[in-house]
Amino acid sequence: MDWRTGRLPLKGLLVVDWSVFWAGAYLGMMLHDLGAQVVKVESPYNWDPMRTILDVNPGARGAQQALPPEERCNLNQHFNEWNRGKLSLAVALEREEGRRVLLDLLARADIFIENHRPHVKEKLGIAYEDVRKVKPDIVYLSISGFGQDGPERDALALGSPVELASGLFSLNGYHGQATPAKTGFSYADPVSALVALGAILLALRQRRRTGKGRFIDIAMRDALSFGIGSAFVDWALNGRERPRLGNRHPSYAPQGVYRAYGADEWIAISVRNDQEWQALVRLMGNPDWATDPELATVEGRRRHHDLIDQHLERWTSQHCARALEAALQEAGVPAGAVLDYRQLRFDPQLNARGMTQEVQHPLFGTEVRTRSLWQRGPCSQPIERPAPCFGQHNRYVLREILGYSEQDIQRLEEQGIIASSIHPSPQHD
Amino acid sequence: MTSTSFKASLASGTHHSITCSTPTTRTPNSNVHQEQYLSLALSDVLVLELSRTWAAAFAGRLLADAGAAVLLVEPPDGHPLRHEGPFPQDRPHPEASAPHLFVNAGKRSLALELPAQAHRLLALLRQAHAFVTDVPAEELDSMGLSWQRLHQENPRLVMTRVTPFGDTGPYRRYQGTNLVCLALGGQMKITGDPGLPPLSNAGAQAEYQGGLAAFAGTVANLLLAEETGEGDYLDLSIQDVVANNLEGRSLTFNLGVMAQRSGLCPSAVYGVYPCADGWVFVNAVSPSLWERLKAAIGLPELEDPRFGSQASRLAHNDELQAIIASWTVSMSSDELRRLMRQGYPLTVAETVPSLLEGEQWRQRCYVHRVRHPAAGEVPVLGPLWEHPPGWSPAPAPLLGEANRELLGEPVQEG
Repeated sequence: MDWRTGRLPLKGLLVVDWSVFWAGAYLGMMLHDLGAQVVKVESPYNWDPMRTILDVNPGARGAQQALPPEERCNLNQHFNEWNRGKLSLAVALEREEGRRVLLDLLARADIFIENHRPHVKEKLGIAYEDVRKVKPDIVYLSISGFGQDGPERDALALGSPVELASGLFSLNGYHGQATPAKTGFSYADPVSALVALGAILLALRQRRRTGKGRFIDIAMRDALSFGIGSAFVDWALNGRERPRLGNRHPSYAPQGVYRAYGADEWIAISVRNDQEWQALVRLMGNPDWATDPELATVEGRRRHHDLIDQHLERWTSQHCARALEAALQEAGVPAGAVLDYRQLRFDPQLNARGMTQEVQHPLFGTEVRTRSLWQRGPCSQPIERPAPCFGQHNRYVLREILGYSEQDIQRLEEQGIIASSIHPSPQHD
Repeated sequence: MTSTSFKASLASGTHHSITCSTPTTRTPNSNVHQEQYLSLALSDVLVLELSRTWAAAFAGRLLADAGAAVLLVEPPDGHPLRHEGPFPQDRPHPEASAPHLFVNAGKRSLALELPAQAHRLLALLRQAHAFVTDVPAEELDSMGLSWQRLHQENPRLVMTRVTPFGDTGPYRRYQGTNLVCLALGGQMKITGDPGLPPLSNAGAQAEYQGGLAAFAGTVANLLLAEETGEGDYLDLSIQDVVANNLEGRSLTFNLGVMAQRSGLCPSAVYGVYPCADGWVFVNAVSPSLWERLKAAIGLPELEDPRFGSQASRLAHNDELQAIIASWTVSMSSDELRRLMRQGYPLTVAETVPSLLEGEQWRQRCYVHRVRHPAAGEVPVLGPLWEHPPGWSPAPAPLLGEANRELLGEPVQEG
């Protein structure tokens, strides 16, 4: 954005972020990265579940799992990744006085984001109709699995299950195999967060012109299906679902992921044209199999893709993935090592562009956090602050943003309307 | 809209009816005013798209879905996605490729021979509000279309360049494709079966993510430019976006926990199971979801103390998986979909045809039957936000269909 002056497009705007898990939290973080102040709202009875689950992978249970939820809720490395930079307000939304605190905050807010199932906001009396009474020009955005209406509105939705509902799952899979495949993480979440970000920015532009806010309904399923939009056209043109391509490309050949030297090491290679094929053949030392004139054209290479894959892998498996990547790129052939998360942390390109930064978390200590996507390169913005501990900014929000008196704040604390610790029930083990 | 008005709209900066059909009015008690539809939010914005792959093309499509007039600048033999199948009956036809019919819907087409006709492009960029491209910086420079030049000529213009690796860093001259970006962005290593190679998901997902970021970033830059009067340049790297969108990387960076490929069913309480005629996702990762799953399945075996706590369910993963699978294979997708709609933690796998025929999208008006002169009627998804009844994207443009209008007489210079 505006690197010269450091000016960001959402500077001066207040976002209330009532998000759970990933999509909504990531959206809130990106709004912060574009300059907004973001207050994450949670209840001591219904906090963002990301604070207390999935903090280690199944089968690799770490020490944190042994801590009581009240302690580990501030240490969770999923939560802390997607909520950095935000302020935390912990208020009992289920109680009328708590709801009134939230509405007071919303009366001063520009944007409200949430990603619960559609009926939850209605049950708590914080649906769009309730909120626009206190803030007529609010931009109110809901992300749900399937949308705010229709027969599927009440279906449960997390990112990975939604991938099945989107049609993407059905097209995924290894080349030529009958079994579909799912993306290895909750792919629908970041995709719908980016869609929601764009939609909020559009609504802000309209608000600037008309003075009016609006409700925005983003469905995670729709966002994923859009990414495979051409498959729906293909169905109409040919009456078929596209066969699974795996790592192959509809027109480039060869393209694939090939074993490299070492355990679970792989190189991705795409050959987009004859020139890149010739460069690859030269790099391999012009072996007989590759100089077959049949392979000089893309049609021929597509016909003999299986054979090329076998030969190519015999070559790649003798070399380190990173060495192959460098040599192939030097020769002008698109290629990249298949990086695992540890290699990603030390990737020279991501680091040169400033992906990560260390921040000090008051309880966890030094954390590696990811910087704003919008200002990579020489002007990457430093991260302001780590993710908030539960209720960490209650007093700041009530005093500085809402202008409550010390007596009011003390009363709310004594009555348990605002809290600085979660109240786990058996439901949250 | 007639050809004269398109040209007039370029000059006056009002393009609202170029890409959308005229909205019908809603009922008076509707809480959304007509001018509030997000599908009209950019109806006074002119975007030039000079793209070769998916990311910039997706960004252009999303901007068109927000009401912008998007002019796709193509080489005389057509945008590369016109030459990428699938085609009708698998016979290549540059007007009827599925990628083109989808991702270029709602755009206009101007065929230009570059670099020879770069001055034409520059003349249009002087009038535009946004420029979205994936063309290498050196090539833009050599055509006199560097950001510095464009900023000088049209200070309010915002520009987004979305490329595999961005403008800076050691890979800035690397060649990248969708597959290479998925590999170097970390999403591929964790996708697929543990015993098989890492797997790319279907379509051009790295480019889609880059396109979404380019779309949002372009609108953010427009907001800023309208406030300051001065446009800015956004350098987006698809590798950056892919790595940013990665779940769980923080566990590795901070706890040393590595994610692995885990196939279809990472655990009995969180994974994909076969059903009688398809697949279903079972998600019972929390105690309350487990209770609801048990209620949906109704098998007494699930009351066994071996499955009494989350830890115990993990410890008896394989036995539990077998019991759940014995139930799912006895159920049809329709039966499971009914349970899903009632809020049970089950998600049914849909296919392209089941989605096109499904009730949910019909009610959301998410599929538009668009008549295309060369391809006939095709289903085009979109927009991703609310739109007026009757709204439909214009069909993907015929190659160079705007040339006569825009170049038939000299384009207004300066």
